[in-house]
Amino acid sequence: MEAARPHILIVEDSVAVTGALRVLFEETGHDVSVAGSLKEAVEVAALRAVDVMLLDLTLPDGDGLSALTTMRARSIEPRVTAALTGHAEPQIAARCTAAGCRAVLVKPVPIAELLARVREWTAA
Amino acid sequence: MHPVDSSTTAEHRVVQLEEALNEAAQVNAELQSRDALKTQFLANISHDLRTPLTAIITHAEILRDGILGPLSDRQRESITSIIGGGRQLLQAVGEILTYARGAANQLTVSPSEFHISAVVAQVSALNEPLVVKKGLSLSVDVRPELPSLVADREQVTHVISNLIGNAIAFTPPGGRVWVNVSPHRDADVDHVLVEVGDTGIGIAPEHHDLVFREFAQVDPSPSRRHHGTGLGLTIARRLVELNGGRIWLESRLGEGSRFFFALPVSTG
Repeated sequence: MEAARPHILIVEDSVAVTGALRVLFEETGHDVSVAGSLKEAVEVAALRAVDVMLLDLTLPDGDGLSALTTMRARSIEPRVTAALTGHAEPQIAARCTAAGCRAVLVKPVPIAELLARVREWTAA
Repeated sequence: MHPVDSSTTAEHRVVQLEEALNEAAQVNAELQSRDALKTQFLANISHDLRTPLTAIITHAEILRDGILGPLSDRQRESITSIIGGGRQLLQAVGEILTYARGAANQLTVSPSEFHISAVVAQVSALNEPLVVKKGLSLSVDVRPELPSLVADREQVTHVISNLIGNAIAFTPPGGRVWVNVSPHRDADVDHVLVEVGDTGIGIAPEHHDLVFREFAQVDPSPSRRHHGTGLGLTIARRLVELNGGRIWLESRLGEGSRFFFALPVSTG
C-alpha cells in the first residue's frame, strides 16, 4: 500500500542536493516531497502529514527553523525534524535543539547514517 | 597646554604631519575594507563549493551502496575513489572557510567542560582505517589523572584531527604515530599537554616557523608529494590561541616530528 510508505519532506534550496536525497529515499521505500523554500515546506505539510522533515537552515525566504515554528502553530508539525547544516557549531546545534529538532546533521551526511536515523525515527 | 611655538615653520610642519596621518588612516581603512571583501568572497565561494560537492558525494554513495542496483568490484572501487576525492575537496573547502572566518575575527569560542581523552579516542578511531591502509601504527597514551578541560570542544577536535592527519600523511609505511596527553604546569597554571608525534620525514628547524604560516608548504613545487591548502596548521594555531593555549613543534629533517599544544584547564 502506498499509504504505508513513510513521508519524508526535504526542505533545501539546492536542486542538486534534493535530487540526490530524493533518489536515496524513494529507492529505499519512502514517499518524498521536496520544498525549496519555507513557504513551500508549510504548504506540503498542510497537504499531507510528514513523518520526517530534513530541514536546511538557510532558505531563500528565511531561517529554516521558522518553518518548524509556523507548522507547530498550525498543528502540522512533522513527527520528527532533523536540521541539515554546513557546520557543526555548538551554537547552531543548540538553536536547532531548542526549536525542537531531534538531530542536527552536518552535510553531506553519509547516506548509511542518514538512512539508519530516518528508519529509526519512522519505525518508532 | 602645549608649549607655545610661534614659529610658522613649526606650524606648517604640524599641518603637514596631520595631513600625512589622515592620508595614512585613509589608506589603512581602504586596505581593511578590501581585506574584509576578500574574506567575504572566500566565505561565499566556500559555501557555493560545498553545495554541489554535497550532491556529488551523496549521489556517489547511493551508487556505491548498490541502492540503484548491484555493481562490479571495479565499479565500486571507482566510485569509492570519487567519494574519497569529494570528501578531500570538502575538507579543503572547510579549511578555507575556517581560515577566512579566522582572518575576519569571526571565529568564536563556545567553551564546555569535557575530557580530552574522549576527543582523542574519537579522532583516533576515525583515522584507524587510514593508519591500517598506510601500514602505520597509531598508539594513544592518555594519563589517567588528567583533569577535564573547559574549552571549545569542536575546535580542540579540529586541532587534534589536523595534527594526527598530518602525522599520517607525512609518515612512510611501517612508521609510528602516537598521541600522548598529560597534565602540564605552565606559568603556574594547570594545562593539558597534547603531543602528536611521528617517525615521518620531519621538518628542518629553519622551517619550523614556516609551517604555521598561512598558505605555506615546506615544498611548494607543483611536483611535491604532499598536497593541501597549506592552511591546516595556521588554523590549528589560531584555534589553540583562541582557547588560550599555545602550539609548537620539535623536529629535525629525517627524524620525525613532535607537535605539542598546551591548553589551560579552565579558560577562566
